[in-house]
Amino acid sequence: MATFLIRRLIQMVIVLLASAIVSYALLYLAPGGPTTGLRQIQQGGRNSITAEDIARIKARFELDLFLPYRFTRWLAGFPSGPITIGGQTFFADTPAGCAIPGQVRLRYPDGTSEIIEEGCEEYVTFADLADRRTSRGIIFGDFGNSQVILRDRPISVLIESRLPYTLQLMGAALFISILIGVPLGIYSAVRQYSRFDYVMTTVSFVGSSLPTFVIGIICILIFAIAAKEAGLPYLPPGSAVALSDYTVPWIGTVESESTLDRLLHFIMPCGVLVFVNIAGYSRFIRSGMLEVLRLDYVRTARSKGLRERTVVLKHALRNAILPFITLLAGVFAELFGGAAITEAIFNWPGLGRLLVDSIERTDYTVAMSLTMVSIFLLLLGYLITDILYSVLDPRIRLS
Amino acid sequence: MTTPARTRPASQWQLIVRRFTKHRVAMFCLYILISLYLVSMLAPYIAPYPRDEISLDRSYVTPMQTSKIGTFHVLGTDHIGRDFFTRLIYAARVSLTTALTVVTISTIIGVTVGLIAGYFGGWVDNLVTRFIEFISTFPTFTLLLIAGSIILQSEQAIPIPEILTKIFSFLMAINEREARQVVMIVVIFVLLGWTGVARFVRGMVLSIREQLYVESSRALGGSHIHNMLTHVLPNAMPPIIVAYTLGLSGTLVSESALSFLGFGIQDPTPSWGNMLSFANSYMFNYPWMPLVPTLPILVCSLAINYVGDGLRDALDPRVQTEVRREQRDALLAAIRERSKS
Repeated sequence: MATFLIRRLIQMVIVLLASAIVSYALLYLAPGGPTTGLRQIQQGGRNSITAEDIARIKARFELDLFLPYRFTRWLAGFPSGPITIGGQTFFADTPAGCAIPGQVRLRYPDGTSEIIEEGCEEYVTFADLADRRTSRGIIFGDFGNSQVILRDRPISVLIESRLPYTLQLMGAALFISILIGVPLGIYSAVRQYSRFDYVMTTVSFVGSSLPTFVIGIICILIFAIAAKEAGLPYLPPGSAVALSDYTVPWIGTVESESTLDRLLHFIMPCGVLVFVNIAGYSRFIRSGMLEVLRLDYVRTARSKGLRERTVVLKHALRNAILPFITLLAGVFAELFGGAAITEAIFNWPGLGRLLVDSIERTDYTVAMSLTMVSIFLLLLGYLITDILYSVLDPRIRLS
Repeated sequence: MTTPARTRPASQWQLIVRRFTKHRVAMFCLYILISLYLVSMLAPYIAPYPRDEISLDRSYVTPMQTSKIGTFHVLGTDHIGRDFFTRLIYAARVSLTTALTVVTISTIIGVTVGLIAGYFGGWVDNLVTRFIEFISTFPTFTLLLIAGSIILQSEQAIPIPEILTKIFSFLMAINEREARQVVMIVVIFVLLGWTGVARFVRGMVLSIREQLYVESSRALGGSHIHNMLTHVLPNAMPPIIVAYTLGLSGTLVSESALSFLGFGIQDPTPSWGNMLSFANSYMFNYPWMPLVPTLPILVCSLAINYVGDGLRDALDPRVQTEVRREQRDALLAAIRERSKS
């Protein structure tokens, strides 16, 4: 067990590091970032932006450093300046980046010309790095600063403001859907081919084949728009709290930011997630149960004269629920990452929408942090389910 | 006396087809899908209006209504007066072709890789599985978003051979600049999509290659390629076909989701997802509007899933007893015929 854990942990670190490199490189390729649009400002008017201004902004966001240094500084906060060993500094004058790129004008034979960045006019040296603020590195829990959304403020502030909403939504949705989905799956397997089973499988089939955004939009159309027009109690179509008080028939005036207001906003996104999850879970449990109920040991249990209830819930379920645990490996990552599409439709201020926003507005440090945390949580989930599996199923030995 | 007519036992595939055609819902869905695709292929001839014709005189026309300037619109018009019906069938062409190409290419790649890894085992298998495991730790949807935003901002993000853009612009009835963008989306989906197929094909091949018939073919001196193509692959085929159909609806849905969020296929090129994302912002004033692009997504994803379900029932080896019963019935019928004469 111990050797297994150690090996898995080493593996985890390697995979995490590799995925950090890949996603950093991918986002490095992406255009955009905090200097977008500066060129356009530069064209017009008195407040023209000089090359020095751009260099200053780039330095603020570390965009002027060479890729390997940017990566290691982002990952672990290294190098934070020239290396000092025993009072002697090394590499003080080694270039670590390029503050102002050189410009070359290319004149083509047909008379047109083009300015291309080539070489470097002014280098950033390691000595310069010492004066800069340095993040402690993402592996030590310092996510660095947001580049666009919260210009120049820590990403952790951003995450902290969104995390409660996502935890609330995903946590409640998961809890409710396991609470409902598992019994439904069991019941439908026990009563296979009954009318209940037929309805259940059809509904869950439809639920798991429809995309969430379709279900979400239809829900808004019915429960928010149509219900409001019909004078029935309606649900607010989006966001987590209302900006001002509003009146709902039968319920009366709902105060903005009251518990009732929050609850009303919560029902629809949570309901959609619950519906989709239940569809998946109950199908999964049903097929698992059907497989197990056919086995000899279940027949033995029945022939011993045990009550059907005991046979199903004690003997069969224990084996049928095992694969379900693997399904829950992604739970941590899901709890953190949120449901991007559902959050986008219902304008829910969670982390899923933050991810979409950050990519849309090219705030890549935020996107990177979110991705890294979810990869970490996913790996953690795998590890935990592996351990859980071996605890629950004595047939499996970890080695 | 004539010799009794010998009934030739139905082949495996004939049985499968017979069982599939018995699945009423699946057949119905298959017809719907085929006719939808045919309609979308005939889009330039069926469409009542030019695809991108903007006219503010006829914006926000409700379905089945005539606009101020006297044009009739079956499914209404959008915020800048483009005919929804026209755009929907063009979009069907884009969305369905995208899904089809993505799943076809990623299945071909995945099957090849999975077959080779599973058949040869050893270090090849090790390398492939490690690589696949590594790729699957990435949150797919996040990667799709990032890649989508990259190609959104630079048209040269992925070098695309011109012949491909030409083929796609022909297939989807869109111009080459639009096709370029669609091809990049296809490339991203394929890059992220093949690993799932490869993983499960590998798993199946691992058990198939241990079967007696593969071993005897090997003993008879069959080459590796021969073994893989004539013995292993056909036996792995049924689940691959099911996975193919389910992948189709998965890709269709994630492409529309991506376009819905604004990172997929971009506006002048119609796709159900991006049409929905525009219609969605007018839902409070025109509640019918989001329903129009929702409907084909809903119908298609349901229909494809039903077809997949029917295929699974028809192909599932666990229903083999039914095959046995059919075979037994046929044999019994033959014996009875003989005893009668």
